[in-house]
Amino acid sequence: MPAYHSVFLDRPNPQVIGAITLPHSRTTSNALAASCPRTRGPAPTLPPLPPDVAELTIDDSHESYDPLDEILALFRANTFFRNFEIKGPADRVLIYGILFVSEALGKIKPGMGRRDAEKAVMNTALDTNFAIPGDASFPLNQAFEPPRDRNEAEVLRQYIQQMRQELAMRLLNRVYADGNTPSKWWLSFTKRKFMGKTL
Amino acid sequence: MAPQTPAVVMDNGTGYTKLGFAGNDSPSFVFPTAIATKGPSAGGAGGGSGSGRPAVANKPSFLTGGAGPTGHLSAKRGTEDLDFFIGDEALNAAAGPGYGLHYPIRHGQIENWDQMERFWSNSIFKYLRVEPEDHYFLLTEPPLNPPENRENTAEIMFESFNCAGLYIAVQAVLALAASWTSSKVQDRSLTGTVIDSGEGVTHVIPVAEGYVIGSSIKSIPIAGRDITYFVQSLLRDRGEPDSSLKTAERIKEEFCYVCPDIVKEFARFDREPDDRFKKYQMQQPGGRSVTVDVGYERFLAPEIFFNPEIYSSDFLTPLPNIVDTVIQTSPIDVRRGLYKNIVLSGGSTLYKDFGRRLQRDIRHLVDARIKASETRAGNAAKSGGLDVQVISHKRQRHGPWFGGSLLGQTPEFRSYCHTKAEYDEIGPSIVRRFALLGGPGST
Ligand SMILES: Nc1ncnc2c1ncn2[C@@H]1O[C@H](COP(=O)(O)OP(=O)(O)OP(=O)(O)O)[C@@H](O)[C@H]1O
Ligand SMILES: [Mg+2]
Repeated sequence: MPAYHSVFLDRPNPQVIGAITLPHSRTTSNALAASCPRTRGPAPTLPPLPPDVAELTIDDSHESYDPLDEILALFRANTFFRNFEIKGPADRVLIYGILFVSEALGKIKPGMGRRDAEKAVMNTALDTNFAIPGDASFPLNQAFEPPRDRNEAEVLRQYIQQMRQELAMRLLNRVYADGNTPSKWWLSFTKRKFMGKTL
Repeated sequence: MAPQTPAVVMDNGTGYTKLGFAGNDSPSFVFPTAIATKGPSAGGAGGGSGSGRPAVANKPSFLTGGAGPTGHLSAKRGTEDLDFFIGDEALNAAAGPGYGLHYPIRHGQIENWDQMERFWSNSIFKYLRVEPEDHYFLLTEPPLNPPENRENTAEIMFESFNCAGLYIAVQAVLALAASWTSSKVQDRSLTGTVIDSGEGVTHVIPVAEGYVIGSSIKSIPIAGRDITYFVQSLLRDRGEPDSSLKTAERIKEEFCYVCPDIVKEFARFDREPDDRFKKYQMQQPGGRSVTVDVGYERFLAPEIFFNPEIYSSDFLTPLPNIVDTVIQTSPIDVRRGLYKNIVLSGGSTLYKDFGRRLQRDIRHLVDARIKASETRAGNAAKSGGLDVQVISHKRQRHGPWFGGSLLGQTPEFRSYCHTKAEYDEIGPSIVRRFALLGGPGST
């Protein structure tokens, strides 16, 4: 049983650029989200979670389960694997997301309060200076494809930007689920590298 | 010579030695197969004091061709040679100055005969406290043990200890006999696939009517020691207050289990944290009491059998696939019997639900192959399917020892042994062959 693939592989793809799907996702609405200027992006938004479903424990069969839920659900298991056979564009979303979660998690130090962690993580998430497929500094160019033109590149960049912000917020919710100290269980994954790569 | 003394049963494993008398339900002594002698330790991987995660163990020497150093009995000893300890006492002695710790068995095979002789001597005289000339001995050996090793063993048993009689049985065959206590086993068959996983190595051994199908045996370099190292590395990643090997091993034995799916299991820890996370309380050597949190290692550690990739970068084949391959490479007329009676043995098969997961995964492989061949052949060739059954049972932990206890107590046991008189007449080569104990026709 090798590393886990995306359940979104066999769903109709909304749009593919750079060989990744541009996923539909929910947006977390909380005080932190309101303070982020660019949480809105081109990704079609799914309706918010119904009151009886919790973000931290949503099941993959639920209709509101989105690719970002999946990234956080598979992160801990998949970081143990070095090999991953990409089966389609949805798997590339998964890869990028897991590598980003690793990077964001690395900003949280043991004992750091939530406020400081938010600052550190959102700093990374909101930084517009990140590489997209096709850029020379993008670490996974063999597995991805460059966008076909400037327009595609712009859309892709906005998608990834949106994904980084949304993932960062959901990650913080998990790491700080129990209060103002970060979960040592999550922090223990900072050194693991899915596919041996970092963003 | 007293005719009715019980046979002595000794199962010397890489990690632990099991000692006792035939007819008993469990061994009288279980202690590390370790010896402490004057001087420095051998160092290296075999000791329990290594640090960090080692590379996955080397192949057993029988796979690489060499038979290991052929040991030699030291003829004469000075008194300083009595200055040694075995088992737990050896670990204690080696913790202080002056003694070095050695593990005379590697990958199931005896590698240092001089140390092994002294280890046996203490086992017989200090622990079991028997006169060897009054007892028959049943010893165990790993699969594919070179005949020279048997001869060396016989030389020590007969010449150094004067034991009355000797039988050497293959651990896997004994493990099959041990499973006869399970209610799932209907006939006392010596056909089945044994998965023996102890401290140093995991063997998958097909046995047909008491004879090991040597050409199909596979061993994998993942066993108890690796699982302990993996637990240790997870404790270290979290900076737990104690991450010694001893603590890792205790946590492994007390808390680990096999889950159906690791992603679902992570989710279960999120949903039911109070039930899933545990605490392990321990006293450090200084007497300080510390609490170690126990978490994902509970299911991740034994997962390395099913997903070796999460631990090792050079050995990647899951155990269920190995079992399936072993059976597929065995003669076609015994395969059904091998799938139907997959017997677990050894300390590292004790994880809760280990057998259940193994059975499920092997079934998936078998069903997928049957389906593929039916599709190729068209529907005309519907086969009846294959019964895959993994047997967990009460005597699994010390399977080889218990099987030895069972067979060593039968009335005919002595007639299957070679005696001291026969050894004196024919010499060590006599132990190259033993008649099959517990085979068809015996009770
Ligand atoms: N309850 C348990 N759960 C998991 N592992 C256990 C349990 N009890 C013992 N073990 C492990 O089993 C191993 C010892 O098993 P066993 O006595 O079968 O090995 P051995 O015969 O010495 O070694 P080998 O068969 O490799 O030569 C150790 O790694 C020990 O930590
Ligand atoms: Mg053993």
